[in-house]
Amino acid sequence: MDADKIVALVTAGGIELTDRRRNATDDGWSLSFANGATVEVGDDGSARIGGKGTKAVARLLDPPRNA
Amino acid sequence: MKRSSSLALFSSALALCAAASASAAQPGDPPDGLAKIETVVVIFAENRAFDNLYGHFPGADGIDKASQESLQQRDRDGSVLSELPPVWDGLTAKGVTPPVTQAMTEHLPNGPFTVNDAKGFNVPLSVTTHDLWHRYYQNQMQINGGKNDMFVAWGDSGAMPMSNWDTSKGDMWAVAQKYVLADHFFMGGFGGSFFNHQWLICACAPYYADADKNPAKPSISMTDDSGTALKIADNSPKSARDGIPKFVSDGNLTPDFYAVNTMQPPYQPSGNDPAAGGDPLLADPAKPTTLPPQSEPTIGDMLSLKHVTWAWYSGAWQYTLDHGNHTPTPNFQYHHQPFNYYANYAPGTEARREHLRDAGLSGVSFIQAIDDGVLPQVSFYKPQGNLNEHSGYADIQAGDRHIADVVAHLEKSPQWPHMLVVVTYDENGGIWDHVAPPKGDRWGPGTRIPAIIVSPFAKHGYVDHTPYDTTSILRLITERFELPVLHGIVVRDRAVAAHGEPPLGDLTGGLDLN
Repeated sequence: MDADKIVALVTAGGIELTDRRRNATDDGWSLSFANGATVEVGDDGSARIGGKGTKAVARLLDPPRNA
Repeated sequence: MKRSSSLALFSSALALCAAASASAAQPGDPPDGLAKIETVVVIFAENRAFDNLYGHFPGADGIDKASQESLQQRDRDGSVLSELPPVWDGLTAKGVTPPVTQAMTEHLPNGPFTVNDAKGFNVPLSVTTHDLWHRYYQNQMQINGGKNDMFVAWGDSGAMPMSNWDTSKGDMWAVAQKYVLADHFFMGGFGGSFFNHQWLICACAPYYADADKNPAKPSISMTDDSGTALKIADNSPKSARDGIPKFVSDGNLTPDFYAVNTMQPPYQPSGNDPAAGGDPLLADPAKPTTLPPQSEPTIGDMLSLKHVTWAWYSGAWQYTLDHGNHTPTPNFQYHHQPFNYYANYAPGTEARREHLRDAGLSGVSFIQAIDDGVLPQVSFYKPQGNLNEHSGYADIQAGDRHIADVVAHLEKSPQWPHMLVVVTYDENGGIWDHVAPPKGDRWGPGTRIPAIIVSPFAKHGYVDHTPYDTTSILRLITERFELPVLHGIVVRDRAVAAHGEPPLGDLTGGLDLN
């Protein structure tokens, strides 16, 4: 799953994207959402969810669910 | 001019407001009898354009009165779309059964469609639907100088901006029929909830000083030469039928560092956790989405200055502080708590304890205060997330019923005989409306939203065509309690006048105070 698809799915669920930037190692994207969730999306398609709103975002992405 | 957060500047701003108060003449002197209103209640729901809910309200400037020009959406090159693009990823929210898929929304005619039309999608008001972009620059691009013909072109959800609902069986429709529906009420600022909550309390744009030297630097937007539209990326789909537009930098800050899209409060409850080892009452200031504490004067400061009692009642406020947030209920929204961005209401302050109150789960504590007749002179009520009508995570019916229930309690309150209630929405939620907003200043007004005036002094069964925006609520409070005028209101009034527009009202057009 790429960053664009994740943003589309999460924002369609009413959770606004608040920040999007390349990660420190330049091998993926770091996304932040208004509910406090963050999603680290690797260029290889991996995704890791963290932060306060993890469950809500995981439910919208489903899979990945590797928070 | 860049703002500092110094106390000195705050004091001088107060002085400026006080000076403006003496010379404020627009939209006219307060009407006689305004002092009869002793209690003001503002109920702030989420993300609905006027035509989306009240487009077929009898006597209102609804969809039936829309020009052909505003009914037809144009593509990004300015040509009229032959049909609407599909709703990308489907019309219903994830998990809704049965879903309305993207494929089912193909080939819609170019114009508004009713989501709960029995001959169409037949999706009931109790179903949550796809959210839409509702952002500062996109809103201006969609309005397109008042033609309102680019909502689809510069949205992220295909046909979805052209959706509307038949709410004529809804509880708040009946309230609007009983009292006053304002059909020319516009959101105070362009864009989304964060910004319009700020306009409700401050009539100002929050500021991030030296953003280009801080963590938020990558969140500075890049605009085109107009300064009112985002710069389009080279790889952006040329047609709305081919996909969602892409921009070079669609951030939360303007190029001169004003925060116009969602930033998190600097204090808990915030979407951003405290810094590791830091103060647990604060949000991590190193996070790019944490807004530094704000110092611009708010309506709360003005009310306190004049010793007028007031409170911001927030649904699930204490629950979230005690237990964290949970979805789908209560789904507390951190950026819907505007005073939590201001140093004057920081954790530990007496002002926070006195004015930022827990409305309880489903507003139970607020309703108790209503029933007991102990509301302060001015109350703002923010329903918790699942009751606020926001697309994507809330449906219309739950919020409509909840707010109507609150209104029913207000009508029975011991304070009712001298009460004025305004029920409105923070912004349009990215949804189309056919009426051109008044030309104002850099920040707004934006798209038209519903507003219902409820009071024993309200004209009954009346549609008020007076032009209003979110700051009209502040005008009313300011006039009633003889407060210093917030600077943003002075600027807005002057800008509207400079464009030759009629002045924005103070909501008294819907009242009979005699």
